[in-house]
This record gives sequence, C-alpha cells and structure tokens, in this order.
Amino acid sequence: MNDVLPNKITIWKLRNNNPLRKSYMNNNIKLEEFDALIKITVEMSRYLYPYMREILQSKEDPEQNSVIWNDFNQRFIELINERFNLHSVRVKKLLNLTVNDEILIKSLLTLSLCISNQGYQKLKNFLFNY
Amino acid sequence: MIQNRLLFHQSSVTLEIIGLPDFSNNEYQDQISIISQWKLTIIDKPLIEGKLEHLGPIMDAFYIYSNLLINNETPIYESKLIDIKADNLYIHNIVLKSSKPDVKPLIIKIGNSLLSDTINCFDQLNESSKVRIKKSSFINNIPKKIRFGLTKFKILNFFLPPIISICSLILFSSTFIYFYNPINDKEKNELINTK
Repeated sequence: MNDVLPNKITIWKLRNNNPLRKSYMNNNIKLEEFDALIKITVEMSRYLYPYMREILQSKEDPEQNSVIWNDFNQRFIELINERFNLHSVRVKKLLNLTVNDEILIKSLLTLSLCISNQGYQKLKNFLFNY
Repeated sequence: MIQNRLLFHQSSVTLEIIGLPDFSNNEYQDQISIISQWKLTIIDKPLIEGKLEHLGPIMDAFYIYSNLLINNETPIYESKLIDIKADNLYIHNIVLKSSKPDVKPLIIKIGNSLLSDTINCFDQLNESSKVRIKKSSFINNIPKKIRFGLTKFKILNFFLPPIISICSLILFSSTFIYFYNPINDKEKNELINTK
C-alpha cells in the first residue's frame, strides 16, 4: 500500500480520475491503484459501519422521524454540488431527490456488506458486476 | 461430553454455533467441526434455529439475495427451505418453511440494517478458524466480467512483446526497402539496345 499510495496527495490525484468530478483528469488509473482504493474503502466502511447502519435503519420505519437520513441526504447533496460536475446527466440524477434514495441505499448497503476480512474481494466483485 | 458454543455478533444479530471438535482429525478442544445445532437471534424477531443441513442453504439464500439486490436484478430468492422477497427498497420479507408437516412457515420482516448484520454474522462464521464448515460458494465467486478482465491483462502481456518487436522490425527494415521503378528499367533497356 505504501508503494502505491505513498502520501495523501497521491490519493487526492486518484480521486480526480472520477469523471463525475469538476476537477476530472484522465490519468489512466492502474490496477494496483484501483486495488489500493478498494482496500481503503473497505477499511473506512469497517470503521463507519455503526453510522451507515444507523442511516439505513432511519429510513426503514416511515413513521419514525428520519432526522438521520435527512441530515445524511442533505450533506450528500451539499458535497455533490460543491465537487461534482453539475452539467453531467448522471450527477443530475444523484441530486434528484425522487431518484437518489435508491442509489444512496444501495451504495450504503454495498459498503455495509463489505466489512469482513473478505470485504475487499466482495467489494471488487460488486464493482465489476455494477 | 460438554459441547462447544461459539457466538458471532454484529449489532442486533447473533449467530450461535453449538458442536464438538473432531478429535480424530487432530483438532483442538475449542474447535467445532461437528455442528449439532445453530441459532440465529435477531433482536425483536422470532428465533431462527435448525439442523446443520439447514444452515448452508439459509446462508446461501442470504448471499444470493443480497447479490441480486445490489446488482439491480429482481431481488427474489425461492427454495424449499426459505423464500426472501423485497417488500420495498427498505424492507425484506423472509419466509422460513419447516421440513416438518403441519408446521406453519415463519414469516419475518427485516430492514436493510438487519440484513447487513445477518450477512456480516455469516461472514464471521465463514472466516472463523474455530468452526469447520463447508464454505459458501457464493462469497468468493469472481464474476465473469472480472475473469474476463484478468485474462485480458494476461493476453495483453502475452501478445504485446512480439507485436512490438514485429512492428519495430518492419519500421527498421522499411528504410532499406527497394522500390521498383519501371521508368528507370525502360531507360536501362534502351541503353543496352543502342549498344
């Protein structure tokens, strides 16, 4: 991991490979860099599992006041507005409140299913099947 | 003989495995490879328990269902033992059918949070070195797309060096190529004839 991602700047540069971002740069991400990003995502998911679970749970009961879900959704939209290319159709879909529920729930569920030791392989499989 | 009992926790779900080690296979005292009973406890839901032969199919059902759910396919799993269907985006309907006659099926509704807890408990069981169980074939299955991706890399690595060498050979030899010019040839012939 240290060879592939020696510092935070490398991770920052890799983030810019996302074509949905405003600061998109096509650097042709390498296979080992892709693997390293998946490993970081799995570690973060493991650490954030209680929060992700809480967010998922807050949406399950319609009678319950889903404050947590609304906060999460609001912050998500703020970040998308700030960092993503708003002219893209796919980004517009992420910002559409009637459609983005499904995307958010599936993304959170995918991450929460990949917290085991084999989470890296699971997340990789999910991403390739997407 | 006292049976071993192992617990796998994840938030609101606990999976309990009860059984014995196989001493004939040089196993340690705290291991389990002969499972006599298992219990899946989900907070605020009825207890799910069964025999060893039921555990594998139930685990597989959860793994297959979650894969269908995430891969945007119709999330329905049906078998003799268990049915799982999505009521909506947030709630999943589980129907556990008893192998005994005259026993009504057990219906449990769980949300996404409990679904992920349950699957994480099964993951812990699969990864545990203390329980010997036939691993579910649905966890490490590399999808076709990845297999194709990996072979593509290998094929590229295999064919790229000879292709590059052939190209460089053609480029290098093209500088020495002799182009046939019919006009020059005619002139030469005329000179010979005049002689």
